[in-house]
Amino acid sequence: MKRRAFLAVASCALALPGAAGAGVQVWFSSGGEPVPVIRNGTTIQAAVEQLLAGPTAPERGRGIRSAVPHRTPLRSVTTTRRVVTVDLGARFAAGRDEAALRGRVGQLVRTVRSIPGVRSVRILIEGGVPVGLFPGYDLRRPVAAALQERPAHLLGTREVQQRLVDLGFLADPGVTGTADSQTSTAVLGFQKWANLPRDGALGVATRAALVRATRPVPALRAPGRRIEVQLRRQVALLIQDDKVVRTVHISSGAGGKTPRGSFSVYRKERNSWSVPFKVWLPWASYFTGGIAFHAYDSVPTYPASHGCVRVSRYDAPMLFGFAESGTRVDVFDEVALA
Amino acid sequence: MTPRSARGAFVGAFGVVIGVVGCAAVAAAVLVALGLPAQGRADDGPSPAPIPEPRPSTLVVALDLRDPVRQAGVVKGGDVILARGLEVDIAREIVRRVGIPKVRFVYVRPAARLLAAEDPPWHLGIASIRATPRAAGSAALSEPYLGTDQAVVLRRGLPRLARLAQLRSLRSCAVQGSDGARALATVVSPTSAPMLPSTQERLFQLVQTGVCDAALVGAVEVGRFVAGRGALLGPVSARVALGNGYGVAVPRSSPISVAEVARALRGLRADGTMHRLARRWLTIDPARLRLLR
Repeated sequence: MKRRAFLAVASCALALPGAAGAGVQVWFSSGGEPVPVIRNGTTIQAAVEQLLAGPTAPERGRGIRSAVPHRTPLRSVTTTRRVVTVDLGARFAAGRDEAALRGRVGQLVRTVRSIPGVRSVRILIEGGVPVGLFPGYDLRRPVAAALQERPAHLLGTREVQQRLVDLGFLADPGVTGTADSQTSTAVLGFQKWANLPRDGALGVATRAALVRATRPVPALRAPGRRIEVQLRRQVALLIQDDKVVRTVHISSGAGGKTPRGSFSVYRKERNSWSVPFKVWLPWASYFTGGIAFHAYDSVPTYPASHGCVRVSRYDAPMLFGFAESGTRVDVFDEVALA
Repeated sequence: MTPRSARGAFVGAFGVVIGVVGCAAVAAAVLVALGLPAQGRADDGPSPAPIPEPRPSTLVVALDLRDPVRQAGVVKGGDVILARGLEVDIAREIVRRVGIPKVRFVYVRPAARLLAAEDPPWHLGIASIRATPRAAGSAALSEPYLGTDQAVVLRRGLPRLARLAQLRSLRSCAVQGSDGARALATVVSPTSAPMLPSTQERLFQLVQTGVCDAALVGAVEVGRFVAGRGALLGPVSARVALGNGYGVAVPRSSPISVAEVARALRGLRADGTMHRLARRWLTIDPARLRLLR
């Protein structure tokens, strides 16, 4: 008892260098991300006490939350060679929500580490060492940093590209780490499928949607190799045995000029000369009359062609290879189908 | 020899035998009374049942505290306080069912020590110890309380599986070096090469995005694997048997026997306690998943 009183006094006496009057940083979370608030106090103990007290009513009103259970007792705070030992009551380990358990350790570590001079934090519960209680943390040793739980909008370009590959919007070689025009084309395909604003940019909403996305599914069911052209979304789904192999950003005929129906690829030309429009159409796969999938420089996010299905130069060779002669092509307005 | 004399000889011999047996019995009784070692009496007839070790009032159970679902706690002076998890609850149930009023948990790491220690200061060890022949040879290991079967998690859009042959034709994946990868190689034998990502998070992404049709994840871990993200995946539809499981280590010096532990485990299963504990800690009871054959 005497020893505990001594330790508490010792920790209270650890005034923060240069922090007099400035208050302490206490870490909570808002929208799943860590946020600091400034509180009165100049000692480590004061900072931890403020953390355990939780956000104030106005802070809660602003969406600030704490993963630390209400009324968690603080047993002691001591410092040895810049390692701060915080001994807490059993309530600190209450509950089974792994995110909450991780979150409360993160809050404590951030709060204590934000005090200048602190190197790491040793966490004790009821005077003992927690083992296995807080997923992701090995509390048998002092912790120097909180785990980084990266929000979706901080996904790197390479990770975003890998997701696009996984979901079938981008080919493997497209994982370059650079947000290039091929990536932008794939992002457009994804945005169309996910009903997001179609700008081809890797904005916050697009990245967040990518994290939660699953592979597109066909609107129709039929065996074998086939292509669905979904006019409302302006995408083509390349399907093998009811599994979408690739989803491609397209631009179909303006004003509904692309005929709806079920067709088959009947003619293929590596370079096709369009007589009426006097233009070369690379990678052309005709599926009804003079209507074909083909590469084109301009593939806008809306129907813009004379009836053909325009495909970007990145996707056209792959689509040409997939659409063998006889491949079934279904063209429809998916909303009408629903 | 006349019949009469033959009869007399037989009676004489019988008397001698009776006499010898009687002497032996008296001698044995004297030996027992003198407290001589049992070996000295081994050939003299059935030995009396050994005097049972006195039952302790507290059973000491060793844990290795590996994760918050199976077992976790706070280590204080070698003891574990605030212990919790599926294996902790199973240990408590075993102790209760063998009629010992109290349980004390101690921390032992690595788990291999639970099998290796001679005359250890604990009575039971529970730490996801595999019931392999090697483990069984170095310590008395109970029948499995949990299996190492692998749950099959499908991508969205696929129907539940009914037969192992259906799984064979799917693009399957498992974490490299895991039991799932072992099950793919030894039990499933898929028709196309499986994908073996290095982390469980990447495994999840592959199923979420449909690159993989089916992921094999430890049936004990699958509840955590899908927790909060089930909408991104198809059904956890079945399991593949892997052939062994996790047993309770019973040191030779323990006051309770493997048979008692086995009886307690059977009771746990029979009255639904194991199912309740599995649902509580794992969210999915592996035993209730359909076994693919």
